[in-house]
Amino acid sequence: MRKTFTRKTLPALTLAVVLATAGCAGTGAGTDGPIVVGSVNALSGAATFPEASQAAKAVFDAANAAGGVNGRKIEYHAIDDKGDPAAAAAAARELVGGDEAVALVGSSSLIECEINTKYYEQQKILSVPGIGVDPACFSSPNIAPANVGPFHDMTLSLLYGSEVLKLNDICALLEIAGNTLPAYQAAIGEWTRITGKKLKYLDSTLPYGGSDYTSSIVKARAAGCKAITVNPVEPDSIGQLKAAQAQGWNDVTWLLLTSVYSENYAKAVSDAGAGVYVPAEFYPYTDAGSPQTKDWRELMTKNRIPLTAFSQGGYLAAKYFLQVIKGIKGDVTRESVTKALHEMKPVSDPMAGTPYLFGPAAAHHDNTAGWPIELATGSNQWKLAARDWLRIPQS
Amino acid sequence: MLQGALAGLAAGGLYAVLAVCLTLMSRLVRVVNFAQSATGMFGCYVAVFLSIHLGLPEWLATVAGIVLGGALSAVLGWIVSTWLAEADTGTRSAVTVAVLLLLISLAFILFGTKPQPFHPLLAGPAFTVGGVVVSQVTVVTVVLAVLVALGCRAVLARTTLGVRLRALSERPTTAELLGIPARPLSVGVWTVTGVIATLAVSIVAPSQSNDPTSLAMLVVPAAAAALLGGFRRLDLAVAGGLVLGMAQGAVAQSDRLSVLRYFLPFLVIVALLLWTQRKEVWDAAR
Repeated sequence: MRKTFTRKTLPALTLAVVLATAGCAGTGAGTDGPIVVGSVNALSGAATFPEASQAAKAVFDAANAAGGVNGRKIEYHAIDDKGDPAAAAAAARELVGGDEAVALVGSSSLIECEINTKYYEQQKILSVPGIGVDPACFSSPNIAPANVGPFHDMTLSLLYGSEVLKLNDICALLEIAGNTLPAYQAAIGEWTRITGKKLKYLDSTLPYGGSDYTSSIVKARAAGCKAITVNPVEPDSIGQLKAAQAQGWNDVTWLLLTSVYSENYAKAVSDAGAGVYVPAEFYPYTDAGSPQTKDWRELMTKNRIPLTAFSQGGYLAAKYFLQVIKGIKGDVTRESVTKALHEMKPVSDPMAGTPYLFGPAAAHHDNTAGWPIELATGSNQWKLAARDWLRIPQS
Repeated sequence: MLQGALAGLAAGGLYAVLAVCLTLMSRLVRVVNFAQSATGMFGCYVAVFLSIHLGLPEWLATVAGIVLGGALSAVLGWIVSTWLAEADTGTRSAVTVAVLLLLISLAFILFGTKPQPFHPLLAGPAFTVGGVVVSQVTVVTVVLAVLVALGCRAVLARTTLGVRLRALSERPTTAELLGIPARPLSVGVWTVTGVIATLAVSIVAPSQSNDPTSLAMLVVPAAAAALLGGFRRLDLAVAGGLVLGMAQGAVAQSDRLSVLRYFLPFLVIVALLLWTQRKEVWDAAR
């Protein structure tokens, strides 16, 4: 009896002791272990943005190669949320609870902010997403994305259409997923507040991944729209442009968002009506020789990461984060990182129109500049449409 | 409303063509082919790949895509008619669901998740009626649907081949004992519907959203249309497709009803099923 007890229990006890001590080592108490940084990303599922976390990883790898932060290496964990709420919640718990991450950096997901914001508040951990998409990314005290976000982007797109292109009769066709409608309405309201202008009409019934948008386009044309603002994903936008083309509606201007800013989209669109205009959330990367994007471009090319707005966001998030933690005196822990982000000075980068500041605010939606670009009919190429950032005037 | 209805006609024409294919399959080879539009989608994607990455001329790439769509369908037909020759319609149809999912996944794996630069075979308006634009794609799909239905009807009614096919669908074992080659004929039917579906999708795909999922799921409205003809009558399948497309277009014009348009195919399916089963008593209908 006693024999079996020791034979069975001893290994288990030993294992428990080993695990317990390993656990102690991982809590960041030691100052020589790696600094764990996490991110939650849409790597598989309906829409995927793998580039943001790849870019953040490239920045951290470069920093590690140059000696790390105060002699400690950064260990970067990027987890897939599959576009699924349960997986997004599990990913956050794995990173924050299991891996003892000090912060989340370079995340890019469709749903992650909404799902995890409360958890981050409980755990007193901050997140610097590369690309924030859902409204919660811009209304939480613990999340401050590096990008402008679709809502300010829509305000900018409308401002460009009405104030620079001098277009009247602008309509909005919105694809609404989840609870995003109020945030888009607020973005349109912001434009109305600045310009005193109103939309000709708003149709918020466009489906994601619809096959044929002809009926929505016909309706917009019949209503007398001269320009249309949409918040589409790439394939949907192509469908909408083609529906307009089939109707022979070639004098309509499209005021779209950074979600369609890609080389692929430009190649797929030959007939863009009177032009597609987008306020790019970061300095336009298609301007290949620009000094603003030089460092980013070299790093991405070296690591074979696609040149997209997503990889710009991930890169910037990691850069900002590095700048902040390099200034930490003493041990780099979750508490000290949180404190440093709350007390940081604004960090500028030529790829962003607004200096980045996390700060102690209750919401972080301060990135208010986009660089206008256009895609003209028949060009199949994005071109700069302005010489400077377009900014949302501060009220 | 009229404008909306005409706007929906392009989609309606495509539903009609696919509904005709579904009806043919159900009548002649006892299968509801859920992969009908997925094979078309896959053929199209290969065509785009050939023209963009291998530099084939567009017409040649499109033809290659259509041939591939037919070949895919033929392989599937061969599998079903070889290993599931005696199985019931439900089992044979279930195989095509697996193929539908396989083709969607395969398209994402091979061609990525980004939109493909489809070049339109036809673009722009054909003519204008009273201020309403009718696009070239609309004209072609509607004409194609009617022609395919008429052609199939003529073949089935007036040729030896048609008689054999009908014999095979009515009494497969008897027909085989009479010496009618069952498997080659079945595979033939699969091939023809594969070619027709790929042709229709090739015409329409460049003029609308063309990610693998939305193209492959066109089979749902097509099935609603085919149901109007009870998966047996070609004329009703064509009418069902056109009416469904026009109804979706018309409903979209009203702010209050526009959300309805995505549920229309499902509503139609449910309504038709309830109607056709209205006289069945519970025990008999089970």
